[in-house]
Amino acid sequence: MTTIRIPTPLRQYTNGQAEITVTGADVGTALNDLTGQHPGLRAHLYTDAGELRAFVNVFLNDEDVRHLQGAATPVSDVDRLMIVPSIAGGSDAELVRVDHAALRVNQATIIVLAAVGFVLDTPGLIVFVAAVMTLGTLRRSPGFRLLYTAVLKPLGWVKPDVIADNAEPHVFAQGLGAAFLWGASLALFAGAPVLGWALSWLVIALAALNLFAGFCAGCFVYYWLARFRAPGFLKTPPTGTFPGLRPRG
Amino acid sequence: MSATTSIVAEAYRALIAHLEAAYPNEGAGLLLGRGDGEDRVVTAVLTLPNRWDGAEQTHRFLLTPEDMLAGEQEAARRGLDVIGIFHSHPDHPAEPSGFDRDWALPWYVYTITRVTQGRADHTRAWRLREDRSGYSEDNFTIHAETRPTPRG
Repeated sequence: MTTIRIPTPLRQYTNGQAEITVTGADVGTALNDLTGQHPGLRAHLYTDAGELRAFVNVFLNDEDVRHLQGAATPVSDVDRLMIVPSIAGGSDAELVRVDHAALRVNQATIIVLAAVGFVLDTPGLIVFVAAVMTLGTLRRSPGFRLLYTAVLKPLGWVKPDVIADNAEPHVFAQGLGAAFLWGASLALFAGAPVLGWALSWLVIALAALNLFAGFCAGCFVYYWLARFRAPGFLKTPPTGTFPGLRPRG
Repeated sequence: MSATTSIVAEAYRALIAHLEAAYPNEGAGLLLGRGDGEDRVVTAVLTLPNRWDGAEQTHRFLLTPEDMLAGEQEAARRGLDVIGIFHSHPDHPAEPSGFDRDWALPWYVYTITRVTQGRADHTRAWRLREDRSGYSEDNFTIHAETRPTPRG
């Protein structure tokens, strides 16, 4: 007999009981026994197609069974199962809204740090900027976003500038910039300073073009790839906007 | 006759502050209070990080099961229950979307706050119908400054 803990919102279907004892050799049969005892739970735990709903997480002694063997995870009498909801939601806004102020702070920071790296002849700064941009790309947000969200925005020095736009091209553009800076770092440490600083200045120039003229060269490349149906490049420019140019707010 | 969800002013201020700071992304967190009875009183809120994939956060939020567990424990520590979820719709009406419904649980109160250009300007409270067919709207009121005596 295994114990299953029921989350508060579903206890109305178990006569208010927080814990239910079930039989079954694995997680799947244990859950089946649970919904057999309390049929009202079924609609909220499973979709019409019989799949566990996306927000239903089953923990076996504090470990998510998705990281074990899923429904086939064996359970024994001493085990404790816990149903824990994850919660998601959101508006049905079609175009994502992109805060261009956060993008501009990111561009300005990249320009300043890379230029300082050049003036002081400090390749380490280029590596640092490349690393931050790479992390930002992986997290799908501007690398130096924290400077904006934690400092400049709360101080009121930079105001949000939210525009209906696609987020992916900006993520791609930052990734492209990071790739150039990694190339620059490699060249600088391999004894090819001219190539290294030239690549750094290319990134500085393109970031400045974006910051001052509102043209995102990386986004242009993204939309160009999308036009030729490169896999993973799905977005088209917002209506009436030239590819790479900043959409009108 | 619809049910009522009310919130003490101090908790509502914390909720608004969190959602305005999150703009243009969606912000979210837990509503804490007493879980008994049809009408609900929110006496505190617990702000949580939005764990949805970065680029989509302007119209999506996610609270992970780990955060939910931590939230439940924090609520229990304060002698309260998690009675609902709050989140924002940046520049979008304070009404549940189809996506909201796919992820909703019964019994919880879901408050949605519209945040227009960084200012929270409209909050409504909803509960999922038993058959998951849609939502019923609660009357939503904000209490005066005095806080009710905590339980226990």
